[in-house]
Amino acid sequence: MRGKKLVLILAVMLVASLSLFAQASSDSDSYKIGFIGPLTGDNSAYGVFCRQAAELAVNQANANGGIDGKMIELIAEDSEGSVERGLAAIEKLSSSDNIVALVGPVLTGTAFAVGERCQNEGIPMISPSATHADITNIGDYIFRTIVSDGLQGQVAGTYFYDVLGYRNIGCLYVMNDYSKGLYDGMKAAFEAKGGTVSAVETGNVGDKDFRTQLTNLKNSNVEAIYIPNYTVEMAQMLEQAAQVGITVPFLSCDGFSNPDIYALAGDFTDGVIYVAPAPAKESDLHTKFVSEYEAAFNMSPDSFATNAYDATNIIIEAMRSAGTDRAAVRDEIAATKDFVGASGVINFAPNGDLVAYQAIYKVEGTTPVYQGSYSVDADGNLVQVD
Amino acid sequence: MFFQHFTNGLTLGGIYALIALGYTMVYGILKFINFAHGDILMVGAYIGMFSFNFFRGDAPLGAWTFFSFVLAMIVSAAFCAFLGMFIERVAYKPLRHASRLAPLLSAIGVSFILSNGAAWLWGTQSKKFDYPFDNTPLMIGGVAITPHQILILVVSLILMVVLKLFVDRTRLGKAMRATSLDQDTALLMGINVNQVISLTFAIGSALAAIGGILIAFDYKCYPTLGMMTGLKAFVAAVAGGIGNITGAMLGGILLGLLETFGVAILGIPMGYKDTIAFAILILILLVKPEGLLGKREKEKV
Repeated sequence: MRGKKLVLILAVMLVASLSLFAQASSDSDSYKIGFIGPLTGDNSAYGVFCRQAAELAVNQANANGGIDGKMIELIAEDSEGSVERGLAAIEKLSSSDNIVALVGPVLTGTAFAVGERCQNEGIPMISPSATHADITNIGDYIFRTIVSDGLQGQVAGTYFYDVLGYRNIGCLYVMNDYSKGLYDGMKAAFEAKGGTVSAVETGNVGDKDFRTQLTNLKNSNVEAIYIPNYTVEMAQMLEQAAQVGITVPFLSCDGFSNPDIYALAGDFTDGVIYVAPAPAKESDLHTKFVSEYEAAFNMSPDSFATNAYDATNIIIEAMRSAGTDRAAVRDEIAATKDFVGASGVINFAPNGDLVAYQAIYKVEGTTPVYQGSYSVDADGNLVQVD
Repeated sequence: MFFQHFTNGLTLGGIYALIALGYTMVYGILKFINFAHGDILMVGAYIGMFSFNFFRGDAPLGAWTFFSFVLAMIVSAAFCAFLGMFIERVAYKPLRHASRLAPLLSAIGVSFILSNGAAWLWGTQSKKFDYPFDNTPLMIGGVAITPHQILILVVSLILMVVLKLFVDRTRLGKAMRATSLDQDTALLMGINVNQVISLTFAIGSALAAIGGILIAFDYKCYPTLGMMTGLKAFVAAVAGGIGNITGAMLGGILLGLLETFGVAILGIPMGYKDTIAFAILILILLVKPEGLLGKREKEKV
């Protein structure tokens, strides 16, 4: 009796899975875009902002008739900010959802793992926010609508030396790809100029207590401390730095552009100087995007969301002319020329990097004040572009 | 430099000790590890934060905010005491005579329910727990110590002394010790064992709630707050000799100091601080498997 039941159940499951496959293959020429980012957990603010932006772009395209009358579908997966969950997500998106292209991943560590997978499967991927210099080196299917850390680290190191006049600084970073990448880039540029990074402290992902490292930094007589990390970690560091009595200024990275930092550590952000991608020019398109985003989600988009909006639109445009063929879509994306997006005019370098600049901000109280935009030329000299 | 690390380590250890007490008391009486203890700590932190914000209203820092903080600690401790008793009644008591692994698995289940429930109710992002006082560090002979650190030391010291006196000097404490020695005999002597077990969970959970609040100022409130902190406190309880209250205090302080010192003295990158601390604890257990103050138990035949 029991055996018969089991056979019956297996048979039903088999039929069900067959019909599932059938559905997948009949749907394969629909326009599906995947999204991967942290939608829950400490870094979820980054992910949710970006997912909403991608959603907005897709909804707008659909409201205008989709592509040749066909609707575009956005399938968003939660990476929880972890590599393992990111890999599970791309597995699902590529094999069972059969997406044409991917927006994301949002975080650098996940982007490395998922990028490998996208390259192997031939899925065009555009990250709105993964900044590690090496990400686009994974291969020709990997793009991004954010400036590479290569440039961020370079501008940071050069600016700290040339403009701020520091010769000896310290650094505290958490051991993940994003923070380590920024630290390496900054250090190379700073030391090439002749400065020294004399005290380097590290922490683990998930650490909340940085007092020991900060106490060491306090006793190392550095002129400033560079903390290239994510929001929650930087909030801990700034607050605890005040507690162990550190008085030298803090320098930071684009992770500081998330307004959450002021909610978590608003009393300690005054005087922080950070390097982040140059802001969107106040174009009509940017204003329009911001107001549409606010109307749809009741919150203002951050810079990563602006990038995600542009990334999604670039993919939609590419699908308009190339259909659902992943290789053809990849070629269209690579051929993008002067795409006018919400973040400005977008061009991709041959390796898939965004052609762009870095901006410097100084925080006064809890308000970042723009100090100018910079690039670094081939000889390692700082060039102000705005 | 030395005293700065010492201060930081001591306060961290104070919190570990407070939480370790809960593990050790339950183990002493039921010979079982309550893996949901860390999550009760997390719930305590959230309840403390919400009730503090409620009592405080819009008041600026001052006597009233401190008073609301004390109120919030009491509310949270009471809430968690009931939560602890409730969990014991629902998830552990029915399994008291089952195999020893059953309540352990039940505890792991409760732990997941609590942390996922918190994520569902309150979201997964860190929430800030405002200090009820000005937390500008005081400089004492070159050592920066914050009012928060002083609070941790004072509160954990008072609670530990009170608990020790309670267990050693009162009738209920005596009943607890008797139950821990031999449940059946205690029952024969007219001790209400069920009541004693409930009381143990209530006290342990209330201490966890206060530990949770003290640590949440620093770490913020988030659903997995209890995971690492709980694990560390558990290790502290084992190293100190599980089942022994003084041992748990000692183990907690020791772990806090090891974490800050092990690395500072050996000059090993801070990223490996947990490795160092746990390696030293393994050494302690190799030399003294029953923990620092644990008694070697003879198997009854």
